[in-house]
Amino acid sequence: MKYSQVRVLAGKGGAADHFSEALRGLAVDRRDSVYAAGDQEIKVFESGGRLARRWRTAMPGFAVAVAGDGRVFCGQPGQVEIFDGAGRLQAAWRDEQRLGLVTAIGFSTGNVFLADATGRCIRRYDGSGKYLNDIGNDNRMKGFLIPNGAVSFGVDAKGVIHSANPGKHRVERYTAGGALLGHFGRFDGRDPAGFSGCCNPTNVAVTGGSRIWVTEKAGPRAKVYDAEGALLAVIASDVFDPNCKNMSIAAGSRGQVYVADTVKLQIFVFEPLGGQGGAA
Amino acid sequence: MSDQTTRRGALARAARGAAALALGGSAFYLVRKADGQIVWNVDSARCINSRLGVTNVEACNLCTTECVVPLSAVRAVNEYSKCGRCYICPAYFNITSAVDEKGLPSEKLCPRDAIERKPIGDIDPDDPANNFYEYIIDEVKCDGCGKCVMACKEPLGLGSIVLRVRHSLCVDCNRCAISTACPKDAILQVPIEKAFDHVQLGSHD
Amino acid sequence: MKSRASTLLAAAAGLILLFAVNAAGQAMQYERPVQAAPQEEGIGGSYKTPAVQKPQPRSYWLEVLDVVLMAVAMGISVWVVLRRRSRKWVLALTVACLGYFGFYREGCICPIGSIQNVSVALTDPGYAIPIVVTAVFFLPLLVALFFGRAFCGGVCPLGALQELVLLKPLRVPRRLDRALGLLRYAYLGGAVWLALQPFPVHDFIICRFDPFVGFFRMAGFAHMLYIGAAFLVLGIFVGRPYCRFLCPYGVLLEWVTRLAGRGVSITPDKELDCGLCQESCPYGAIEKMRVVRPKCLYCARCFESCPREGPLARKR
Repeated sequence: MKYSQVRVLAGKGGAADHFSEALRGLAVDRRDSVYAAGDQEIKVFESGGRLARRWRTAMPGFAVAVAGDGRVFCGQPGQVEIFDGAGRLQAAWRDEQRLGLVTAIGFSTGNVFLADATGRCIRRYDGSGKYLNDIGNDNRMKGFLIPNGAVSFGVDAKGVIHSANPGKHRVERYTAGGALLGHFGRFDGRDPAGFSGCCNPTNVAVTGGSRIWVTEKAGPRAKVYDAEGALLAVIASDVFDPNCKNMSIAAGSRGQVYVADTVKLQIFVFEPLGGQGGAA
Repeated sequence: MSDQTTRRGALARAARGAAALALGGSAFYLVRKADGQIVWNVDSARCINSRLGVTNVEACNLCTTECVVPLSAVRAVNEYSKCGRCYICPAYFNITSAVDEKGLPSEKLCPRDAIERKPIGDIDPDDPANNFYEYIIDEVKCDGCGKCVMACKEPLGLGSIVLRVRHSLCVDCNRCAISTACPKDAILQVPIEKAFDHVQLGSHD
Repeated sequence: MKSRASTLLAAAAGLILLFAVNAAGQAMQYERPVQAAPQEEGIGGSYKTPAVQKPQPRSYWLEVLDVVLMAVAMGISVWVVLRRRSRKWVLALTVACLGYFGFYREGCICPIGSIQNVSVALTDPGYAIPIVVTAVFFLPLLVALFFGRAFCGGVCPLGALQELVLLKPLRVPRRLDRALGLLRYAYLGGAVWLALQPFPVHDFIICRFDPFVGFFRMAGFAHMLYIGAAFLVLGIFVGRPYCRFLCPYGVLLEWVTRLAGRGVSITPDKELDCGLCQESCPYGAIEKMRVVRPKCLYCARCFESCPREGPLARKR
């Protein structure tokens, strides 16, 4: 399977649809609108690429996610802000003693999962913001190994959490209760099917039940695996700035992929050639 | 004694006094300004091997080749508190070499084999990936070639390995030969108190 | 009073600024950052972070000791040459200083090279040199102001090395001597100019082309060792070629020595007019039976050759 770059959104600069300092989180909603958290703002791009809305967040956003009901969650240092689709603030969750820097957000029925990079684990809350349990830190290493400084995961249609454990060069599968189901991935600096460098993959996204999208740093690349961990495609590598790190990745309904270049502050949009890569 | 000799003597004394005053004055000025003990130091924020933004290039090894001390006085130092303790350290392994049967890169990066790797903490004997590792640089073997520094820097690593002047070996040349050759003017003289400040490197979050 | 008020005002402004910055920082502040590098409590198993090696330079007090030793050596040089008038003692001092300042301290710091540092420190407000360097630069000049070039005789390791290889001194014709001596001014001027230039032209050529430091360190670049060897071979026949034709510090010493009250003199009360002393001086520093003090390098050869006071006289 091959992908081709079809569009570039945002960029570095002062324009309304550009970011000036940082681009950290990406999400896609059901209508294929792209939500990007960067600087201290969330920007929403329509599927055609036009900037539709943007609004400020209380603190710099490190993650953004769109819930089934259309609410927009933005992960920040020590808190999550929840907005309606138009960008009006609905709530802010703080969990003073527990929650650190939120670098990824995911949902399953009745659950909200927050990746806590400070605690090197995933925190599970219910829909009202009540803490339930931790995922990924009941082990010898007391959490994920993240020399890259971010925890990233995706939740599949069955509610299984697929989390990057970059220090181990693995993608691990957890239940909502925190039980480790299994993992795939291994180090390999030559074979693109392996994960290279000290700590990869840095970011993970999941669509449906069968596609696991990952990005790596140094050298930066985006790849897609099936649920068993077989490499389906290297989506792109050369287009990203070589100093990129923790590139957020998101996939849309037609199998199109969005990757955030953290240096050029651009969002690259890729589509599968021949339309064979629909999200299952 | 004739008038002339006394006059000449007085003149000579005056000239000597003036010269002494001039010398003393400039010495006094310099002493007032003095900064204590000054040593040569690597400014990691300037060093090509440590700096962000320089990627996919060979490590600069001028610190090895230019130093007047046979085995350079500049050596790599691992700032342990900033080390990621990775299972696969790009500064220890040649991460582009073929993977061996244990799943590790088959080659090491250091040409002098100066880095030692050992698991630390509560060691898990069953899963080697489930451990933290300490990377200790043998300061006697290291010649400051900068390969590991280049491999450890952001975004590949955390930049915990930097080049440092080993002041016990540095002969304190007036014009450090490395500093003359350094393309980024990264070898500078600083007061000794500042020589061990670890420079905070920039990062992309 | 006025200055005090303005100081207070400045302090108040500074405080306000500090608060403003703090207040702005507060909104952004976050006390629990991500630790990309695992620390002791995360690693567990009673792990302790090893201390990072911090090799210290030579103690400051040892450097001060170097200055003191240099001062003492110059004192001995003055005493041995002006009072004892003994070549043997000068040789002993020469060997001792060559060993200590040359081979043990590896030729650094030296007043010759410090010309550059002093030049920069005097002109660049952002550049300072340690007190030790200031002392090393000014002490020999101060001594020269009263007694002449006592530093050159036996103390300077570069001079000492050349002094010891001078086995078959040939006379350099006076005019050639004078002409070659002009090189020193060019070298001094060029070195100061280059030292004052901003990076990357900035250079300390005196040190870069120091002919003998390579021998002192038993290591160095090939070009330095070749230059040094050439000077030493030449120095077998020509007295101290580096000192007389290149040394930029010699220029400064010469200027200061012109004002000196005392210095080497040849047996003023027992002159023989035999001219043996003049013959013996390998540096052309005796003209018409009188010492040309700015050129005298405190080697005491003239005393040695004198039939009135040298070994010849003592044997008699």
